[in-house]
Amino acid sequence: MESFVHVCLAGISAGMFIWLVASGLTLIFGVLRVLNFAHGSFYMLGAYLCYTCLRFLGIDFWLGVIVGPLAVCVVGYVMERFLLRRVYDLELPYQLLLTFSMVLIFDELVKIIWGAGSIGSPSVPGLSGSLMIAGRNFPVYNLFIMIVGPLVAVGLWAFLERSWWGKIIRAAASDREMAAAIGVKVPSLYTAVFVIGAWLSAVGGALAVPYVGLLTTGMGEAIIINAFVVVVIGGLGSLKGAFLGALFIGLLSSFGTRYIPTLDMSLTFILMGVVLLWRPQGFFAGVDR
Amino acid sequence: MDKPGITRRDFVKMGLLTAAASALGSGVMKPVGLWAAAPKIKGPIKVGYQAVLSGTLAGYGEFHKMGAIMAMEEINAAGGIAGNKLEVEIRDSTLAAPASIQNVRYFVDSWEADLLAGVDSSGQALAVAPVVGQLDRVLMVTHAATERLTEEEVFKKGIKQVFRICTPTYQDGNAAAFVAKDLPATTWATINPKYEYGFTTWKMFQETLGKLKPGVKFVADSWAPFGTTDFRPHINTIMDAKPEGLYSVVWAGELITMIKQAKQAGLFDTIKHVLLPVGAAMDVLEGLGPDMPDNLWISGRYFFLYPDTAKNKEWVAAFKKRWNHYPAYVSETAYSTMYAFKKAIETAGSKETAPVIQALEGMELDSPAGHRVFRKEDHQAMYEVPWGLTATDPKYPFKIMGKQIVIPAKECFNRPPFEGPGTTPPFKS
Repeated sequence: MESFVHVCLAGISAGMFIWLVASGLTLIFGVLRVLNFAHGSFYMLGAYLCYTCLRFLGIDFWLGVIVGPLAVCVVGYVMERFLLRRVYDLELPYQLLLTFSMVLIFDELVKIIWGAGSIGSPSVPGLSGSLMIAGRNFPVYNLFIMIVGPLVAVGLWAFLERSWWGKIIRAAASDREMAAAIGVKVPSLYTAVFVIGAWLSAVGGALAVPYVGLLTTGMGEAIIINAFVVVVIGGLGSLKGAFLGALFIGLLSSFGTRYIPTLDMSLTFILMGVVLLWRPQGFFAGVDR
Repeated sequence: MDKPGITRRDFVKMGLLTAAASALGSGVMKPVGLWAAAPKIKGPIKVGYQAVLSGTLAGYGEFHKMGAIMAMEEINAAGGIAGNKLEVEIRDSTLAAPASIQNVRYFVDSWEADLLAGVDSSGQALAVAPVVGQLDRVLMVTHAATERLTEEEVFKKGIKQVFRICTPTYQDGNAAAFVAKDLPATTWATINPKYEYGFTTWKMFQETLGKLKPGVKFVADSWAPFGTTDFRPHINTIMDAKPEGLYSVVWAGELITMIKQAKQAGLFDTIKHVLLPVGAAMDVLEGLGPDMPDNLWISGRYFFLYPDTAKNKEWVAAFKKRWNHYPAYVSETAYSTMYAFKKAIETAGSKETAPVIQALEGMELDSPAGHRVFRKEDHQAMYEVPWGLTATDPKYPFKIMGKQIVIPAKECFNRPPFEGPGTTPPFKS
């Protein structure tokens, strides 16, 4: 029983990280129609920049979580404004090539700036302890992540559904030309959405540092695969789908590892295969666009 | 470093004489290098080295590089190998088998490498061995540990081009069992990597410990795929089984993550005996810093505080000065590889593959890690790496290997012919 509770908790907290990355990925795809391979790089940069703030500016973790991702927003802005904008009208392979090359460039940059070795994470003031839950310690920090994830989901939903900006974004997503015709500055809007997506991923990365326990080049690639699976399962462009998908993938891998260890590596991909065969558009495609 | 003086100086003199003689003999048109030393060796000695330089384990590649480059600089400053310049090119092995094959092909076919070295993963080593056999170049493996490389590829299939300078899985499986037999734990579990290295070490540990301490039980195993960042499900599996001892060859960054997450879950409060065969890696010790718990058993392929010899101390100091890092084990194996090549080529008087193999077989090498002997039958370097308990030392910002015990290589390394009784420890004699 104690194991069951902990397998659930581990699954939910793992799912929340995937959600933070997948939310930005699906948002960017939903509006810009670009599959951004480099999205995992924002996750990595968020982590490294947050760490740098802590280490060299001497500010505390929480300020780092704010400052680090803001710096990533600048990177996202430059990337969208000067690179991605040129390939919107080209075929998909060009977009993939460009964003994949950005992955390699960001990885090398991180190696040049921070070195190739693993960096141990700093501790989080106030949240570094553990709580006894069902007879076993569980880190307070992971409980915190389990609250942050849904909060981000609610915040994004409110922003897109209830705010004036959200309406414009949805309008541009459903009909770019029409939106442009009624005076929406679509290019600027695209930049803004891309920056928001990059910010979400970077926040995920910054928050992941104490959870995973270290920073490595290539940490972005590790999570982006799961994020892609989540986005495919949930439906490309669907935030609700990404949230439920991430939760589901987190729990599936946690339970898989514990109870069906021989299949744990393949479970998520089997699931993705089934979804693609049975409901290729994903579970929630188009619902919230 | 090996006493460089006399032999090298003689070589240089001989080289100059040879050069002068051949220049006079065959006329001015034939270009003759200043360093045309022993008559058989022409041009630079080129070593094609591959290590992982990208992805989450890129730090390992950097440490390989530091060792290899430092040896190259030293050797060239002291007159090269038999008077010839040593050239080292380092390529990214990416940890994938196809890339490692491409690398050796590039090194031999395009870059004209004389010798090859490096290789991180067991899968890569097994894939590359037949290829270097076909290409007929010596490959010195500096990191990959699978015993199948030396037992099957070298000993059984006769791929004599392959050598290994680092300790193999015997250190991780057999030697760990020797440590475990003296601990009070009678039930053991593992969180191990879900690939060749993890499977083979756990099997070896179980078999050897079973023989050394009959009645010991293995109660749980959980297998973490490459790239695992969340060990909590695995930790849950282990804690449910309530073993007294935990064995894990999870390595590098993943080990840092696993230890932190295990600590948060209180695993070290309930499981008192923990064996980490590759826990003494510098990236792990530095990455964890004070977060590494005390009193965990760790080992590696080399640890910079062992052996307590002048040679090792001088080397560690020189390394620290050159790179501002303590040497990782792959730095030592990469560094010593260059000196092994140097010694073999100078002994053979040639850089051709066959004489170099002959020179390497049974060769003794005085290296920072201590005295190594390349076993003739399987080309495995025999040398000792200690096991010890993690401990705090005010001199270092990370945990070090405290109380050290040494399981002699001849007692814990499997013996040829690797089949039948008397080939796996414990040995009668």
